[in-house]
Amino acid sequence: MDIFSNLWLGASTAFLPMNLLYGFVGCLLGTAIGVLPGLGPTATIAMLLPITFGLPPESALIMLAGIFYGAQYGGSTTAILINLPGESSSVVTAIDGYQMARNGRAGPALATAALGSFFAGTVATILLAVAAPPLAAVALNFGPAEYFSLMVLGLVASVALASGSLVKAMAMIVFGLILGTVGTDVESGTPRYVFDIPELYDGLNFVAVSMGIFGICEILRNLENEQERSVGVKRVTGLMLTKEDFKRVCGPVLRGTALGSFLGILPGGGAMLASFAAYAMEKRVSPNRAEFGKGAIEGVAAPESANNAGAQTSFIPMLTLGIPGNPVMALMVGAMILQGITPGPNVISDEPKLFWGMIVSMWSGNLMLVILNLPLIGLWVRMLTVPYHLLFPAIVGFCCIGAYSINNSVFDVFVMAGFSVIGFALSKLRFEPAPLLLGFILGPMLEENLRRAMLISQGDPTTFLRSPLSLSLLIFAGLVLALVLSPSISRKREEAFTE
Amino acid sequence: MNLNRFMAIAAAATAFCMAGAEPGRAADNYPSKTVTVVVPFAAGGNTDTFGRLVAEELDKRLGQRFIVENKPGAGGNIGLGDLARSKPDGYTIGMGTVSSNAINQTLYKALPYDKDKGFEPISLIASLPNVLVVNPDRIKANSVQELVEFLKKEPGKHTYASSGVGTSIHLAGELLATKTGVKITHVPYKGSSQAILDVVAGHVDMMFDNIPTAAQQVKGGKVKALAVTSLERAALLPDVPTMASIIPGFEATSWHGLFAPPGTPPEIVEKLSKEVQAIIADPAMKAKLEAMGVTPVGNTSVEFKDFIAKETVKWAEVIKAANVPLQ
Repeated sequence: MDIFSNLWLGASTAFLPMNLLYGFVGCLLGTAIGVLPGLGPTATIAMLLPITFGLPPESALIMLAGIFYGAQYGGSTTAILINLPGESSSVVTAIDGYQMARNGRAGPALATAALGSFFAGTVATILLAVAAPPLAAVALNFGPAEYFSLMVLGLVASVALASGSLVKAMAMIVFGLILGTVGTDVESGTPRYVFDIPELYDGLNFVAVSMGIFGICEILRNLENEQERSVGVKRVTGLMLTKEDFKRVCGPVLRGTALGSFLGILPGGGAMLASFAAYAMEKRVSPNRAEFGKGAIEGVAAPESANNAGAQTSFIPMLTLGIPGNPVMALMVGAMILQGITPGPNVISDEPKLFWGMIVSMWSGNLMLVILNLPLIGLWVRMLTVPYHLLFPAIVGFCCIGAYSINNSVFDVFVMAGFSVIGFALSKLRFEPAPLLLGFILGPMLEENLRRAMLISQGDPTTFLRSPLSLSLLIFAGLVLALVLSPSISRKREEAFTE
Repeated sequence: MNLNRFMAIAAAATAFCMAGAEPGRAADNYPSKTVTVVVPFAAGGNTDTFGRLVAEELDKRLGQRFIVENKPGAGGNIGLGDLARSKPDGYTIGMGTVSSNAINQTLYKALPYDKDKGFEPISLIASLPNVLVVNPDRIKANSVQELVEFLKKEPGKHTYASSGVGTSIHLAGELLATKTGVKITHVPYKGSSQAILDVVAGHVDMMFDNIPTAAQQVKGGKVKALAVTSLERAALLPDVPTMASIIPGFEATSWHGLFAPPGTPPEIVEKLSKEVQAIIADPAMKAKLEAMGVTPVGNTSVEFKDFIAKETVKWAEVIKAANVPLQ
C-alpha cells in the first residue's frame, strides 16, 4: 500500500541517527522552555532559527517541531504544580491539576498529562499520515460565518467552565470580552482603548495577562496565608496512576483526543479552543462531575490530550496548504523558506522525504517525550518541597523573563504585574479567572469573524443560517444554552457547587 | 622646552586626538563590538528573514556579531521607535519596510518618533512583488481586463482580502479600485496567511498577496494569478504579465531595507551600505533570494532615500484617494 511505502520513506529519514538526535534535542529544549513559565515555543524557535541555517531541511524542521510539541508537554507541568499556565492551552489544566497537586496527587496528575498527551499525539499522527489532504479540505470549509458560529458555541460552553455562581461566570466572560477589544480594530483600523500607548495597538498579550492572573496572583494568595499553602505540606501519595485512575481517564482521553484532533485542523485559534472545549465537555458528561474544580483527574486528562492532539493536527494546514495556522507554524514556514522550500499545496509531492520524515518524527518525538517525562515527574514533585520563600522569588523572576521575551518589551511585564493585582482582587471577590481568559481569547475572534462574514454577505445576517455547518453549530449552541438555563439543571448546579 | 612650544605640541596632539574622533575616522574601526539589528516585526516573517540573512553575512564580513532583535507591534512603529531612540553610533541599526517607513508616515496620526527626522537609509535589501490572485470559482476572468469588466458588471458585490487595514496588500487593492473605478469590498484579516486561505477556499474572491506564498497556491492550482505588481515580470511566475503593462504606473511592491537611527555618522552609514550592496551582489545570495521569489536590490543610501521619498508620496495619495481612516 502507498501509505506504508510512504511511512517507510518517512521512517528511513526520521530514524537517521542525526535526525533522532535533533529530534531529541528539540524535545528536551521544548520541555525545558515549557516548564519555564512564559518562555513559549515562539520565542525559542525564533532564537534557534539561525542555528538551523546550517542543517539539512529535514533535521532543522524535526528539531523545531520537537520544540513545539515538547513545549506542549512541559507547559502543563507548571500549570499543575504551581498554578502557572505557561501557554494558553494549559490554562484549563491548571484548574483541576493544581487542585490535585494540593491534594498531594501531583504525581498522578503529571503522569496523566504525559500519558494522555502521548496517546493523543500517536492518534493525531496516524490521522495526519492517512488523511492530511482530506482533512485540510475540511478546514477550508470553515469560513468567517462558520468560525463565528464555532465561537458562539465556545462561549456558551465556557459557562460550564465555572464551578461557582453562574452570574459571576457570565460577568467574568463579559469582562474578558471587554479586555479583548483593546487594540487596533481589524475591520476599520481604528485603535480602541489604547490611550495613545503604542504597545496597546496590538491588544493585551494573552501570556502576560494569564501569567498575572494565574501565576503571580497565586503567589500573592499563598504569601497572604502561609498555612493554606498545602502543596508542599500535604503528603505526596504515589507518583503513578492507580487502577481506578486508569479507568477514570480512559474516556476523557479518548474524547479529548477526538475533539483536539478536529479543532486543531482549523487555523486561527482552533488548537487553542481544543483544551477549553474538552474540559467543558468532560464537565458535562463525566459521572464524577461534582469533583471538577476540586482536583478531578478527568479535568487534567481531557484538556491535555486535546491540546496535544491539536498541536499535531495544526501541522495539517501548514503541510498540505502551506498556510500557517498559528504563530509557531508561521515560524516553521519561515524556517522552510530559509531552507529554500516554500510550503504550499505541492510540498507532499515535491518534498516527500521532508513531509513523511516529519510525520514519523512526530511520533518518535512523542515517544521520546513520554520516556523523558515519566522519570522527571519524581523530580518535579520534589520541587514542591523546596521552601516557598526560595521558590516564589524564582517563579516571579522567570515570569518576568517570560513576559519580557514575548515581544522583547518591558510593557508586557507591567501588564503581567497589573493583572496579578486584578486577579488578586477577583479571587477575593470569589470570581474565577478561567471564564475571563476564555472570553478574552474568543471575544476578538468572535467579533472579527462576525464582521467579516457580514462584510462578505453584504450585511445579510442569514449568511449564518445558510451554511449548513454554521447552522448546525448554532443549533448545538442553542441546545447547550437551553441545558444550562433549564431550571432542573441549574438547581443541580447549585446543589453540586454551593458549599 | 619653552612654554609656547609645549602649547603648540599639546595643541597639535589635541587636534590629532580630535581628528580621531572625527566622523572621517569613525568608520575605520567600526564595528568594534556587537551590533544590534532591530527587526520591528515578528520572527519568521519576510522582514525577519531578510534581516537575518543580511545580519549573518555582515557578521562574517565585519568580524563582529550582528544580533537580530525582534520588537514587533503597532505595524512596526514600536521597533522603529526603539531604533530612533537608540544611540546613533552605528551599533544599533534596524530593518524597515514599505509599511513602516513609507505608509505609516501617512496612516498613523502619531508616531512614537520624529517623523521629520526620519531615519538614515542604508540600503534597500530586497523587494517582493505582490501578485493579484483570484479564486477561479468565484471570478470568471483570465486577465486583468476581463476582471475589471466582470467587476464593473456587479459593483460592490465582490470582495478582496488583505493582511490588514493600511498594509501594502490592502493599498494595492485600493490602488486597483482608484485606477480602474471598480467597486470592491475590502475584507481585512490579521496577517496574510488567513487571508489567502479564505481566497483559496472561496470565502473571499481575490487578493493581492506577496509572491512566495501566492506562487505556491497558483502552482497548486488553487488560485489564478492575473498580474504581478512589480514593473518587471517575476521570476517565480514568468508567464504572468505585470500590472503596469495593463494599467500604466501601477506598482505596489513590499520592500525591505536597512536603516540607521537619525544622526548616525554618514561614514558608518556608507560603510554599511557598501557592505550590504556587496552582500546582495554576491551570486550565492542573489540566487537564494531569487529562489524565494524576491527581487534582490542592494542600492546606495542616496538611491534608497529618493526611493522612499517617492513611495511615501505615492502611498499618501492612495490613502487620501481611498479615504482610508487614519489610525
